[in-house]
Amino acid sequence: MRDIESLEKLSIDPTEQVKTDDDMALPIPAAVKNGAAFSVESNRNSRRRVLVSKAFYYLCFGVSLISIVILVVLLASILVQGHTRLTPSLLTNAHSTSEPAESGMLPAILGSLAICAVCALSALPIGIGTAIFLEEFQPTTPWLRRLHGFLSLNIANLAGVPSIVYGLLGLSLFVFMFNAFGQIRVNETSGIELVGVERYYQVLTMAGGGNSALIRQTDPAQPTIVVTESIEAVDRQGEGFTLEVWDPKSGRAKPTDPEVLRRTVRKGQSGGAYAKTSWYYFRLPFGRSFLAAGLTLALVILPIVIIASQEALRSVPPSLREAAYGLGATKWQTVRSVSLPAAMPGIMTGAILAMGRAIGEAAPILVVLGATVAKNSGPQNLMDTVVTMPVLIFHWAGDPKVTYQQLAAAAIIVLLLVLLVMNALAIYLRHRFRTE
Amino acid sequence: MPQSASVTNAPFHGESPSSESAPEVCVKIANFNAWYDSFQAIHDLSLDILRNQVTAFIGPSGCGKSTLLRWVNRMNDIVPTAQCTGSLRINDVEVLSPSTDVVHLRRQVGMVFQKPNPFPKSIYENVAFAPRLHLKLRRGELDELVEWALRKAAVWDEVKDRLNAPAFGLSGGQQQRLCIARAIAIGPELLLMDEPCSALDPASTLAIEDLIYELREQYTIVMVTHNMQQASRCSDQTAFFFEGRLIESGATDDVFTKPQQKRTDDYVRGRFG
Repeated sequence: MRDIESLEKLSIDPTEQVKTDDDMALPIPAAVKNGAAFSVESNRNSRRRVLVSKAFYYLCFGVSLISIVILVVLLASILVQGHTRLTPSLLTNAHSTSEPAESGMLPAILGSLAICAVCALSALPIGIGTAIFLEEFQPTTPWLRRLHGFLSLNIANLAGVPSIVYGLLGLSLFVFMFNAFGQIRVNETSGIELVGVERYYQVLTMAGGGNSALIRQTDPAQPTIVVTESIEAVDRQGEGFTLEVWDPKSGRAKPTDPEVLRRTVRKGQSGGAYAKTSWYYFRLPFGRSFLAAGLTLALVILPIVIIASQEALRSVPPSLREAAYGLGATKWQTVRSVSLPAAMPGIMTGAILAMGRAIGEAAPILVVLGATVAKNSGPQNLMDTVVTMPVLIFHWAGDPKVTYQQLAAAAIIVLLLVLLVMNALAIYLRHRFRTE
Repeated sequence: MPQSASVTNAPFHGESPSSESAPEVCVKIANFNAWYDSFQAIHDLSLDILRNQVTAFIGPSGCGKSTLLRWVNRMNDIVPTAQCTGSLRINDVEVLSPSTDVVHLRRQVGMVFQKPNPFPKSIYENVAFAPRLHLKLRRGELDELVEWALRKAAVWDEVKDRLNAPAFGLSGGQQQRLCIARAIAIGPELLLMDEPCSALDPASTLAIEDLIYELREQYTIVMVTHNMQQASRCSDQTAFFFEGRLIESGATDDVFTKPQQKRTDDYVRGRFG
């Protein structure tokens, strides 16, 4: 479409080419000169090198075999020990001290899931947000840039801190909150209770058989009550009634009607504190609750999530961001509609692997929740304590009874299966996002 | 700077579609300097870029032509070490002042990059990206706009049956034309092209060059290129850069056939660079 004949006519003078004659004339150094005729047969030198290469191959093969053999031995020994206990009751029952054979791990499974949910809900937004800040918002002022570099370095260091240290941190940060809100005491108003709890005194009625009435607690400082006169009370179902008092010394006949008995207490009957909690019961500090444990685990995996997300964001080609900026996208629009979707497979993979680490973590949970396994249900409210799978395994494996040791092996199989499912999910997600 | 020449005074190229009237200046660059940290990439550069013409920036690698291009839409804002002084006016509006809204600026200055860089989305979503950011369109209007942009970029016939297929499935040349469609879908004043054909095979290059030649009827185009033939084939004006300085600029034929400077002569004849 344009006349370029004039260009084609341009001659290029060969004498103006870069001079290479001097280089060409240099003789080949004697050290590299082959001397003998061209041949493809192996000589001593080449045979030796091929042998060394083969030896190296077998060395690497052998070394990789060691780790595989160890894994197979581990799995085999666990299967041999635990296969007899892989029964439905393992998945439906709770731990039992009186009947080891009937023990199960349902509360532990529910507890681990609850802790993982807390962990994921807190660690993922914070971690991904931090990674976006570190990768996408590179500051321009020098001192901010230094702070930025310092932050990145510290996060890399945090990934190497032992998890038990995070356990201790979680203990003072979440369980006690540095005692800033008072201490948690069993069965007493403690800390700052924000929502979801009603405090009563529980008084045994004359109906007997554990039948009791609940009297609303008005003074949090009073741990007990002594009933001397009739008082408003509620029953377990929340139905209000007036609690009557029967004084044996008054000479009045002891009531016999069971309905009346249910609403009457002996004069001077004392009652202890009783808390009625809803699932959303929330107080500060968190005490030995699954919420505190989940947040502690979030601290453990936070550096992993941040680093994985950073890597994923860094692997998004800069040209994609430039394209978005070039079209007039703001920073947020670029992150939301270009960087983040492109980095999502990597972020998801990192997140799921981090969750896998969290579900198998025992040390911080032991510090935060203690080693008790006497719980026969999942968490009932946000402040409830839980048993987790690793802690239960720790407890069972340390028990001298053979049954418990078999149970520990069976529980390990269940835990490994859960981890396997999570890793499979990670691979599936990565694959799905990549092909889209 | 005697060579910061006289693009406006240069004899106007006869083949240009708007040859009846005198060409209007679209971008006016004056006393422009640019740095990366302490390295000065561009020295006291002044240049006028004419409306509805294709201006080619040529010169050896590292001569500052891409740097200049990336300052026109303030793309260098995302490079922390980049700084500049001087004046760069588009339609008589200063672009380099700190108060410039770069988001609004970039909406009006489209950019096409060296390597095709479609988003990892569908073909349709790639073109609809910028309209979605800036305009509130109904579905039907958006569909029309996407079709118009793809037709304009001469890629519609090849993709009309698979608008929802991922853009990565296209060939390199199709991807680059998709990127051009994406850039023009928002109706820019000016199109910046940073070596748009350097990653493409000869056939795709030809298709893009034809497209560039067509597009100048409605857009002002600035193109960085290493390919001398390409500059001579599809540009109206040429500016030759060397070591951060503008050596010579003018109508493409003049620069290629009777250059005023010896270095320009050497470069267009392929003796260096």
